Amino acid sequence: MYVSEIDMLSPHSLLECLYLLENDKASFRLLAGGTDAVVRMKEGKWQHDCWLNLNNIDELKFIAIEKDEIHIGPLATHSEIISSPLLQDHADVLVQASREVGAAQMQNMGTIGGNIGTASPAGDTIPALFALGASIELTSITGKRQVSAEDFFIGPGKTVAFPNEIITKISFKIRGKHDIGIFQKLGPRKAQSISIVNVAISLSMKEGTKECLGGRIAFGSVGPTVLRAKKCEAMLSLGELSNDMISNISSVAWKEVMPISDIRASASYRRDMASALLERGLYRLMKRWADNERKPL
Amino acid sequence: MKTIDFFVNGTEISVTCSPSKTLLEVLREDAGLTGSKECCGKGECGSCTVSLNGLPVCSCLVLAGQVHGENIITVEGIGTPENMDPVQQAFMDEGATQCGYCTPGLIVSARSYLNSIGHLPGLDEIKQALGGNLCRCTGYTKILKAVQTAAEKQLTFREL
Repeated sequence: MYVSEIDMLSPHSLLECLYLLENDKASFRLLAGGTDAVVRMKEGKWQHDCWLNLNNIDELKFIAIEKDEIHIGPLATHSEIISSPLLQDHADVLVQASREVGAAQMQNMGTIGGNIGTASPAGDTIPALFALGASIELTSITGKRQVSAEDFFIGPGKTVAFPNEIITKISFKIRGKHDIGIFQKLGPRKAQSISIVNVAISLSMKEGTKECLGGRIAFGSVGPTVLRAKKCEAMLSLGELSNDMISNISSVAWKEVMPISDIRASASYRRDMASALLERGLYRLMKRWADNERKPL
Repeated sequence: MKTIDFFVNGTEISVTCSPSKTLLEVLREDAGLTGSKECCGKGECGSCTVSLNGLPVCSCLVLAGQVHGENIITVEGIGTPENMDPVQQAFMDEGATQCGYCTPGLIVSARSYLNSIGHLPGLDEIKQALGGNLCRCTGYTKILKAVQTAAEKQLTFREL
């Protein structure tokens, strides 16, 4: 199979796309931004008959608010997420994560749906979606189903989505003034790098104090999928998040992760860095919280 | 084989090729625009950067079938040797090239960035905007200086 033999279909509506996936005999691969998919095609890892180019399906491009939920279309690019005032106000952790995806060229093409569908353990937006408690909507010709982000990924590049399904929406509850989030990433260089370790943190704070009512912490690139650090999360609400408390929480992080050694870093380095990133993230988050509290309204 | 119609540097062109051919190959082989260069082919280096509807993208990762009806600007569309863009002039004046392989990509990235802002960018902002373009000959000092010079020139020009 030569690359030049791979055909492309560009459906103009979701229904047309779902119909093709259900009924056509050809082997399809979905093409959103292509920043990962085209590299795999060039490497010969993907030898399918036909691309299903999603870029003409306008009904999958949106960032909207509906009642108390935020809805993001899978074809929203990272650039659109970064520049969305709605997400800047209500999903700071996702905006920060999208900012860390590659450089400008990647952010302009790459989509959030593509990042989810690729299901790389190092995908930058995935820990942010875990931290936000996001839910992913899958649609096939016969119906829709909602899967929580945590149940969606089952291994590197593997998800619960069936071949006849596509991601049609990412949604999460709107966050209040006291919900704060941060994304921290360690890569070989600042721009355009794959994560060695990344962490997304989202906390619900009690007004006027340093007490945390609860929160979520998710690590990327330290296991077969993104992992939630439940032991660390349980410690968040034990008391005031002082510097001592932060370093106690972080010292548990290595127990939560199960990294491998690969071309980018060794397992033991990743374990150490998971703790360090969590500590740095919590510290910066609490500093930001304290600064905002001091600001007169 | 499919026929793909799109706009390059303001002119509509029509090419018949495999839809899985990359935009970079189409530009170089079918449109004869050899300014954009292939280097890594994986979107790491930015040598192939072109502007797609005003946004810089790596043309080595865009497939021909994806650009049907879209608007592409390559380095050739930014300025000609007789009538250079302020960014190109600044690269010349500051001597911001060595082998020149990364230059077309850098010029497209810098041009797209300067089009998207209305203020004088700081050094960190320029570094952020050009983070996806690698140069392996020289340091980045002269390149950054050139973009700063171009930004200053552009801003004074707009004020006039």
